[in-house]
Amino acid sequence: MIPKDLRYHQEHEWVRVSGTQATVGISHFAQDALGDIVFIDMPKPGAIVKAGQQIGEVESTKTTSTIYTPVSGTIAKVNADLKDHPEVVNSDPYGKGWMVMIDLSNPSDVDKLMTAAQYEAFLAGQKH
Amino acid sequence: MTSQKHIAILGAGPGGYVAAIRAAQLGASVTVIESHALGGVCLNWGCIPSKALLSVVELGDKVKKAEDRGLLVPGPVTYDLARMVARKNKVVATLVQGIATLFKAWNIEYVQGTGSLRDRQTVKVTRADGAPRDVQADAIVIATGSSWPNLPQFPIDGQQLLTSQQLLDLDRIPASLLIVGAGVEGCEFAALYSGMGTEVTIVELMARVLPLEDEEISLMMERELKKRGVTVMTGTTVERLERSPTTITAHLKDGAQVTAEKLLVSVGRGLNSSGIGLEHVGVQTGRRGEILVNERMETTVPGIYAIGDVVGKAMLAHVASAQGKVAVENIMGHQATVRYDVIPAGIFTLPEIGRVGVTEQQAREGVQAAGQDPDIALKVGRFRYAGLGKGQATGDTTGLFKVIAESASGRILGVHIVGAHAADLVHEAAMAMQVGATVTQMAEMIHAHPTLAEGLMEAAEDVEGKAIHQARKRTQ
Repeated sequence: MIPKDLRYHQEHEWVRVSGTQATVGISHFAQDALGDIVFIDMPKPGAIVKAGQQIGEVESTKTTSTIYTPVSGTIAKVNADLKDHPEVVNSDPYGKGWMVMIDLSNPSDVDKLMTAAQYEAFLAGQKH
Repeated sequence: MTSQKHIAILGAGPGGYVAAIRAAQLGASVTVIESHALGGVCLNWGCIPSKALLSVVELGDKVKKAEDRGLLVPGPVTYDLARMVARKNKVVATLVQGIATLFKAWNIEYVQGTGSLRDRQTVKVTRADGAPRDVQADAIVIATGSSWPNLPQFPIDGQQLLTSQQLLDLDRIPASLLIVGAGVEGCEFAALYSGMGTEVTIVELMARVLPLEDEEISLMMERELKKRGVTVMTGTTVERLERSPTTITAHLKDGAQVTAEKLLVSVGRGLNSSGIGLEHVGVQTGRRGEILVNERMETTVPGIYAIGDVVGKAMLAHVASAQGKVAVENIMGHQATVRYDVIPAGIFTLPEIGRVGVTEQQAREGVQAAGQDPDIALKVGRFRYAGLGKGQATGDTTGLFKVIAESASGRILGVHIVGAHAADLVHEAAMAMQVGATVTQMAEMIHAHPTLAEGLMEAAEDVEGKAIHQARKRTQ
């Protein structure tokens, strides 16, 4: 459940880059740890964000967890469908469960993120 | 044998009517003068009616989730506001009648009219029919309360610009509502109307909603409001209003604009201390118009007491009642004072908030002022509703228990709960504080399973990092 074409952040967000725009969501591991997601608080389009900054929160029936942006830039779009159907993040974290699109201000941010293989090893390390 | 003491009470809100009954219980002959309705704002246009309406939306919220739990309700949830208001009025009428019955049982005289002080022992009453009457008394209790402010920038017209009182009596659900002020009332109305499908925007001058609450609780409430679809705008204020026949547009300080069908003005309350003849007897008031009283609730004029909102302390119905009891106890020769350090309070948002004692910020400032490091002197325990078996079973998984304690003594300084039944649950903590129980004693008391009350036990245990149903805290 770790798509090869994405890059990953240590707080379990994923990034898909297309040109100068990045789509961000949370990983399968993160949604599984959270359990049934009931609400996602997301930033407003136009907000300027810095890599590592908190940009929102995910609330599940178990806990509330912070969403961090792995990259810097401007929020171009948020996934409005998640407002009424946050559970999509559980069922399709890498697809319909995407959270925000960010116009990258520093595309090299992406290079600092983990590859799928690195993230897999990172998760294996976390289990101990 | 001394003759029976006669007490005149000006105002029959939760301060005045409770004082009247207690005074009668203590053997006084009592006359209560009230210009509007028995029960005052709380019962007629505040606490009770808003809860009557909110209870319907709470039920609707549950029905909306019913199918997920296996309860099939054909068709969508729809609200009939006119019927909700009619039921609310019935609830209020029953309670008002209840006070009238209690007055009769205690031989309390109820005079309908507007009263003001003529001298230290006389209340001049102008009745609805214009007939004047003087009420003589050995002691007078002023319980005139507070009222909706009439601010020049928000001219209330009852159509587009409304007070909370008017918003309790609409016969049609507005399409959109702008609420100015995200205090207790503003947030409760945001919960109410958003639940019925109104597009609600709430604007707050301070940096967060419920600015007087614990910051963590405020932030949770902001999220809960957003979850209900409420647009929350903090740190800004309305600069100018633009009216059209059908809408009202607010231009905010930060440049944003909000257009809505109706606007609720929910900022501050005015104290009802003018026009009641205080100047005739020399009762002194403070800067805000609050009547100055000592700890026995006696004003600067011996024999004249004041209680409730008009003394401008904690503006809560139950504090007014407590002050009323204290005032008449003192009049009747007993010694009584009000304890202000343990005042539980509820905020009836969806979900509710219950609180007692200080916020974490206040606790930190307190120990800092005493020259201590707050990170050492204070301990905070937390527990989430999601960790409760009862919460999972009933679907009440959103919420938090937070206990703030003094590290060295274990003294409980404040407890804050947001979640289902929070306003009821907080009373266990209030009792613990009232009797001086430590956080360990609260944690060690057996709590029935499965209940939401277990959350308080777990939060108390978490103060020492020993909550059972919570993952181990990371070492710092």
